[in-house]
Amino acid sequence: MSRVDCKNIWKIYNGNVIGIKDLTFTCNDKEFLAILGPSGGGKSSTLRMLAGLEEISKGEVLFDGKKVNQLGPAKRNIALAFESYALYYRLSVYENIAFPLRAKGISNKDVDKRVKDIAEALNLASILKKRPAELAGGYQQRVSLARALIRKPNLTLLDEPLSHMDQRIRAEIRAHIRSIHEELGNTTIYVTHDQAEAISLCDRILILNYGELQQIGTVDDIYNNPVNKFVAFFVGEPGMNFIKCTVESPDNVSLQTSEGKKIFGFSGAVNPKYVGSEITMGIRPQQIGVVEHGGKKSIMSGLVKIVEFQGDNDILTVELDDINKIRIKVVIPAGGKRFKREETCWMDFQPEYIHLFDEAEKAIIERRS
Amino acid sequence: MIKKKITNEEIGFWIVTIIVLIVVLGPLLWIYLTAFKSASDIFSGSLSKQILFTPTLENFKRLFTEYPFFASLFNTIIISVVSTILVMVISLPAAYSFARWDTGGGHLLFVTISTRMFPGVVAALPFFLLFRNIGLLDTHIGLILLHMYFNVSFATFLLYGFFKDVPVELEQAALIDGYGRIDILRRIVFPLVLPGIAITSAFCMIWSWNEFLFAFLFTRDIARPMTVLISSFWGSIEVQYGTMAAGVAIAILPILIVAWVMQRYIIRGLTFGAVKG
Repeated sequence: MSRVDCKNIWKIYNGNVIGIKDLTFTCNDKEFLAILGPSGGGKSSTLRMLAGLEEISKGEVLFDGKKVNQLGPAKRNIALAFESYALYYRLSVYENIAFPLRAKGISNKDVDKRVKDIAEALNLASILKKRPAELAGGYQQRVSLARALIRKPNLTLLDEPLSHMDQRIRAEIRAHIRSIHEELGNTTIYVTHDQAEAISLCDRILILNYGELQQIGTVDDIYNNPVNKFVAFFVGEPGMNFIKCTVESPDNVSLQTSEGKKIFGFSGAVNPKYVGSEITMGIRPQQIGVVEHGGKKSIMSGLVKIVEFQGDNDILTVELDDINKIRIKVVIPAGGKRFKREETCWMDFQPEYIHLFDEAEKAIIERRS
Repeated sequence: MIKKKITNEEIGFWIVTIIVLIVVLGPLLWIYLTAFKSASDIFSGSLSKQILFTPTLENFKRLFTEYPFFASLFNTIIISVVSTILVMVISLPAAYSFARWDTGGGHLLFVTISTRMFPGVVAALPFFLLFRNIGLLDTHIGLILLHMYFNVSFATFLLYGFFKDVPVELEQAALIDGYGRIDILRRIVFPLVLPGIAITSAFCMIWSWNEFLFAFLFTRDIARPMTVLISSFWGSIEVQYGTMAAGVAIAILPILIVAWVMQRYIIRGLTFGAVKG
């Protein structure tokens, strides 16, 4: 167990401030779901409603088909790791981790075994006797994580559990979290604003913004078929480029360049009602192919304005040769051509990588399967 | 050896420190010196006699034999201890409720503290009439109730700050772990606010111990606390400095000790906090 269903849940604060708006989603049994979104997007509110720490204003939360709205946090058998750690500073690390087990009246021997097991997995064995105040932030966060995971809960809720750790430890603990999830075989919901974490850990990602569900799906889905401009830009680093263009026919769009109109095809088609209207074309910096010279239909030229060396790749900021002189980003993978400032760059906008968004910022290409 | 140069800042620092010490310690010194002086030494004009004199216990002897000193000391203890305990019984849950659930949306807390904003004497007349009608004048209960009236608001406000400093996540984590509200208060919250409870009770106790105005107006004989007894040495015919100083010397001793012991807590009370970024 357990499967989590949220049905049209709302969170309204003080009668008029909307925290969560009509959110519906399912987290399947044993699934690892990430809730991803910018700060203030409603991620933590959602988590707290699942935990029973916050009242659900409207809608239903079901665990395994049973409504849990009215149950207190203890009755839901969930575990929650807080972003602020919420450690008990008077107790040792050992007692902090053992705390949830003590509430259940588990024998000392079992408590000891379980504390040591989890401490081993999270590299905490050497500091069990210390007090939380003596530890650096990253360690405290791991203790908080250990306390959440030790209970073998039905549902594990993790609220930005890695946010205060340094980069190296983060990657290491990330792998541990995933393996603990698989070992325990429970359902995990993971809140983060870091897409790299969400992508590397989770089976599916749910994207929230302004308390509204933007998209839920696998990483592949979200990366390749974003439903709107927000998702397209939010996922992927650097974010997707957006260029104004005009719909010429249901299966191609045009850009005005110094050499005249350029036509770009895309895979799929748009509703004929869009023909003639100005819309937004999106293309990921990672999916722009850099070629030797122009000529082909789908090739645009531009001037390199900024070159950022990133070690494993270079990120170019290129001023596009369209009438708006818009600046876009292009990622050159390691081993690719090295550009200098003011050099001309030829870019291939391949049809399968082109996304189109209407005025309401919705994706409008109907892909042929 | 390198000679350390004394800077202007250091000179300034010591001048200010000495002034503060004189202002704070001067009266204390006067009280303790006077308490051990004979009447002739107290009124002696020579400056040397102010410091160099033959100590005597005659003031204390008079205080203990001719006046009901121990009875009034006992009254003071009863009134301050009982009122402090009752204040804490009321203020702790009230402050917790204000801090956690914002009971009354801030207005109620303000109303509570506003009872401390007007001069106490304003409340004296209505209380006097009320107490006279229900027979609470010159009773321990009467004075305890009055002290509670003043200290509950103050203690609630002070404790509110301490409860507010306890991160709500700590309680939520314990709730999720399966602990009940009472257990959480006992095992998580109270240990964290203990310094706050200690300081608050100390303040209430000190206030109640030193309180004079209401004690003077509302007691005559049976419930008369020490502050009123000591003031009675200032008569219309003569001022008995020696006996008065002896009484004060004993009366302020517990407060000095409490303040000394509480120092550590006051500093801890100001700096504790459980969640760090």
